[in-house]
Amino acid sequence: MGSRASTLLREEEIEEIKKETGFSHSQITRLYSRFTSLDKGENGTLSREDFQRIPELAINPLGDRIINAFFPEGEDQVNFRGFMRTLAHFRPIEDNEKSRNPTASEPLNSRTNKLLFAFRLYDLDRDDKISRDELLQVLRMMVGVNISDEQLGSIADRTIQEADTNGDSSISFNEFIKVLEKVDVEQKMSIRFLH
Amino acid sequence: MPRKSDAAKMDEVGIEIDGEVSDSDDGVAQRRNNRRQAAGRGGAKGRGRGKKPASDDEDEADEEEDEAPRGRRGANKKKPAKKRGDDDDDDSEDEAPKRKRGGAANKKKGGKAQDSDEEDSDAPKGKKGRGGKGGKKGEKEEEETKGKKGDAKGKDKGKDKDDDKDKKKKKKKDDSSSDSSSNSDEEEESMSEGEMARLMEEVEEKKKLIANIRNKPWRMKRRLTHLKEAQAFVDKFEGALGKGKGRKWYAYKVMMTKKWIKFQRDFENFRTACIPWERKIKEVESHFGSSVASYFIFLRWMYGMNLVLFGFTFGLVVIPEVLMGLPYGSIPRKTVPREEQDTAQDYSVLMDFNGYCKYSVLFYGFYNNERTIGLLKFRLPLSYLMVGIGTFGYSLMLVIRTMAKNADVGGGDGEEGEFTFAWKMFTSWDYLIGNAETADNKYASITTSFKESIVDEQENQKDENIHLRRFLRVLANFLITCSLGGSGYLIYFVVKRSQEFATRDDLSWYEKNELEIIMSLLGLVCPPLFETIAELEDYHPRIGLKWQLGRIFALFLGNLYTFLFALFDEVNTKLEEEQAIKNASIYAMKEYYANYSRLMNDSEATPPPMDPADVIRGPCWETAVGIEFVKLTVSDIQVSYLTILIGDFARAVIVRFLNYCWCWDLEAGFPSYGEFDISGNVLGLVFNQGMIWMGAFYAPGLVGINVLRLLSSMYYQCWAVMATNVPHERVFKASKSNNFYMGLLLLVLFLSLLPVVYTIMTLPPSFDCGPFSGKSKMFDVVMETIDLDLPAFMGTLFSYAANPGLIIPAVLLMVLAIYYLNSVSEAYKNSNMELKKKMQMARDEEKNRRNNTDSTNQVMKDLEDLLPNRSLAPPPEPEKPPEPEPKPTKTKPGAAGKGVDLQKDVALASPNPNARGPVSRAPGPRGQGPGPRPGPGPGPGRGRGRGPPPR
Repeated sequence: MGSRASTLLREEEIEEIKKETGFSHSQITRLYSRFTSLDKGENGTLSREDFQRIPELAINPLGDRIINAFFPEGEDQVNFRGFMRTLAHFRPIEDNEKSRNPTASEPLNSRTNKLLFAFRLYDLDRDDKISRDELLQVLRMMVGVNISDEQLGSIADRTIQEADTNGDSSISFNEFIKVLEKVDVEQKMSIRFLH
Repeated sequence: MPRKSDAAKMDEVGIEIDGEVSDSDDGVAQRRNNRRQAAGRGGAKGRGRGKKPASDDEDEADEEEDEAPRGRRGANKKKPAKKRGDDDDDDSEDEAPKRKRGGAANKKKGGKAQDSDEEDSDAPKGKKGRGGKGGKKGEKEEEETKGKKGDAKGKDKGKDKDDDKDKKKKKKKDDSSSDSSSNSDEEEESMSEGEMARLMEEVEEKKKLIANIRNKPWRMKRRLTHLKEAQAFVDKFEGALGKGKGRKWYAYKVMMTKKWIKFQRDFENFRTACIPWERKIKEVESHFGSSVASYFIFLRWMYGMNLVLFGFTFGLVVIPEVLMGLPYGSIPRKTVPREEQDTAQDYSVLMDFNGYCKYSVLFYGFYNNERTIGLLKFRLPLSYLMVGIGTFGYSLMLVIRTMAKNADVGGGDGEEGEFTFAWKMFTSWDYLIGNAETADNKYASITTSFKESIVDEQENQKDENIHLRRFLRVLANFLITCSLGGSGYLIYFVVKRSQEFATRDDLSWYEKNELEIIMSLLGLVCPPLFETIAELEDYHPRIGLKWQLGRIFALFLGNLYTFLFALFDEVNTKLEEEQAIKNASIYAMKEYYANYSRLMNDSEATPPPMDPADVIRGPCWETAVGIEFVKLTVSDIQVSYLTILIGDFARAVIVRFLNYCWCWDLEAGFPSYGEFDISGNVLGLVFNQGMIWMGAFYAPGLVGINVLRLLSSMYYQCWAVMATNVPHERVFKASKSNNFYMGLLLLVLFLSLLPVVYTIMTLPPSFDCGPFSGKSKMFDVVMETIDLDLPAFMGTLFSYAANPGLIIPAVLLMVLAIYYLNSVSEAYKNSNMELKKKMQMARDEEKNRRNNTDSTNQVMKDLEDLLPNRSLAPPPEPEKPPEPEPKPTKTKPGAAGKGVDLQKDVALASPNPNARGPVSRAPGPRGQGPGPRPGPGPGPGRGRGRGPPPR
């Protein structure tokens, strides 16, 4: 607890974040120190460049998408609150959380929200639909130059054909959920944050 | 800061609990409440404390009135109470430093004050002192018998009085906990505040529940379960908050759980890291697809099996002979004969495994036929035979077990081609990759998996002109059967001719090597021929590979056949030769002795033993066979390594570097880079293993050589495939189970089992070499052991067991068992299929229903707008709400009219959202009767019909 000294966060801020994201106090302080270490401009916000400096993201072909996911629509700065909000999607779902007050608004790490986050990775123009072009772009990122364009095109077509139920040749969020129905998203989209 | 809040909360809760309790036991509780607050804060020690004895006294009185058994307990409590005093002192001493560190000076004071108070009140008052003790007893009991208490409570909770008592205890517990709350700060270090706070909240909640469970309007059963749960929870987690005796234990437990989880994780990682070559294989797989990887997995499996065989052979045969047997040169079989000694160390001789190699521990002939060797009385001949048979036994068992296990895996999760591409699309990238190399591999593997799926998909989609394809397939099979038959006849013919040649001396070079030349020509020409013919069939490459493997396998069987044929010829001639030599050597020995006594003119003197190098010895056919196998294996290794070096590596180098100055594009054009030849490599491996199985009995060293070979070829081939090969044009997904390879291996194992068992059972072993020399059959060694080493009744037992009268029924029984098990497994398979179908149907049904809810929702919304009663509006979730919602509306009219029939309709109709329309209108005319009825039955059917509308 001695590390608290380095915290520039106010207690009430922590409380708010805690309420919003479900992270514990120490997780928040730890992530805050990570945040500040990433924040090279030292202005309390992260820019895209700050993220791109992370080597793991830099080498990740889909790194840009991940970085994108941190930024709200039309902005290129993210503050600590936003940063935490994004990370909260990856908080594992704990057993006692499942049962607790179902009436309250869904936590950020619920299955639906996790899926929504994944959906946003593909939905570039944020029109709540994954179009063929968007799929193609992601595919290109994922396979590099190893597959010819027409094959990629047919893969994208095939994907849409499989997932599309309402015939608008794009994948809506509902269709996306249906596709990933049997995927253990809760587990796959969880990261163990240090306590 | 957290500490502060802890304390605050504690007090609050205490008050709350008391508030509840005061209903039943008013004044006392009030006073106690005061006292606790005082003690907790530690401010007003003396005064608050002063009240305590009185209240406790009353408590005690109450309790004694309440129940008789209490008295018994009270008596027991005397002692603990005394102890408690001491404990308290100890505690306070223990805790003092902690508190100091925590800086909670006031709390410490409070604690001290309390202690002193208690002692004070103890001393002067007689009756009251007892009461005071009683109170402390209560505390003490809370501390010590919390677990017990839970039980006790559970038992007699039905009685109100006991309930009262429990509540009092509860209060007391709070007392005690409030003064130990200061300890909680040391706990906090092991837990985060978030956890702390949450836990505390929950614990308090449960406590509250326990306290006022009596006031809940529940049935007793429910109360009981709730109470039990709550108590269990409090018991478990109270320690986390630094209360109760569980505190240290809890901290320890939390720490251990964390450590244990971490250990498990580490162990899992370690285990994964321990799988040999996993990374290498994954790398190959990511670049070349699962088909190539399947070869390497097979290779790894073979390596594992051979390692075990190696362990057996070396541990039970070779090492004992080296350590405990006679050394080299002591007896004829362990000595190089005189006439060979000059050349015995020549490189060429050694490379042929003659000379010193032949008379070494590597081969059968070196082993002595002494029944036991060394101090341990190790029965080497018996062990030799057992290891020889055990090798086969173990291999058979392992192969069959692996096959069975693979078949198990095969059933696995039935993805059934649903959303294949979508899943690959959305879930294949691993976003946690943080390493450039891994990312590259992931790239490659995603690409390959896409390609694999594309191939599968293409295969699924083409169904044009089935008749032509069938015709082509029949034609291809016909052609291949012809060529197989032709090559079979050719081999037969050549073998016949070579037997003829064997008797003649005037042979040209071609005639001498005709068999080998023909065999290698066949091996060279046929596989590509088969591949070309297989083009006609146009199978999916996965199935194509199997056919190809099977055909080449059949061709190689001819190879095996000729080899064995030649070998048996050799063995037979050696056996004849041996008979003559045996007589000669006996004659020579006699002559030697005769000469000796004649020269010395002394028939009494024992002659010095003959130099072992001079003894005439037999041909030792076992060693000859062993040498044959070792030579074959070694040449196989050489050939396959050279093939890779020249055929792949040199080609790759040439293509790569000559491409700069060549007239056409070498990389894309003619030579190009090689593809990894899966079928050839797998078959090579399988046949090589067959050689090992056949030869291991005659050359124990062969297993060691094979282990080295597999080990080196793992690295070598991994390197070669990554460095020089390109992925197949049609990368295809291998089936997860390597069962086809295993099947081939099993066949080869069986084929190689036959000759070895035949020789062991029927051929007489050589008279002067090997562990079985001097016996008429090799397995006589078993008989000998039974006769000499086992008690007599075992011998008779075995002789009964060997009786045909027993063996035939046993075989019959086995056949019956096989038949039975087979039919059972067939039945299981059928029911499996049924279940799968059912599951698929259920899934479809569900899907349709969901679609329907979506579609009907719109209608429903419109309907609801029309309805005057807004409360009927269904919640947004489409799935569940329909059930409860329509029921009430429907049952009412049902009750008014004809109940039963309608009720039924509702029950059936409610799951189907379609029925909701009519249902909500039901209060109207009863004419709707038939309306809902069709709903339930054809639910899915209708659903299917309704599916499209949303489009």
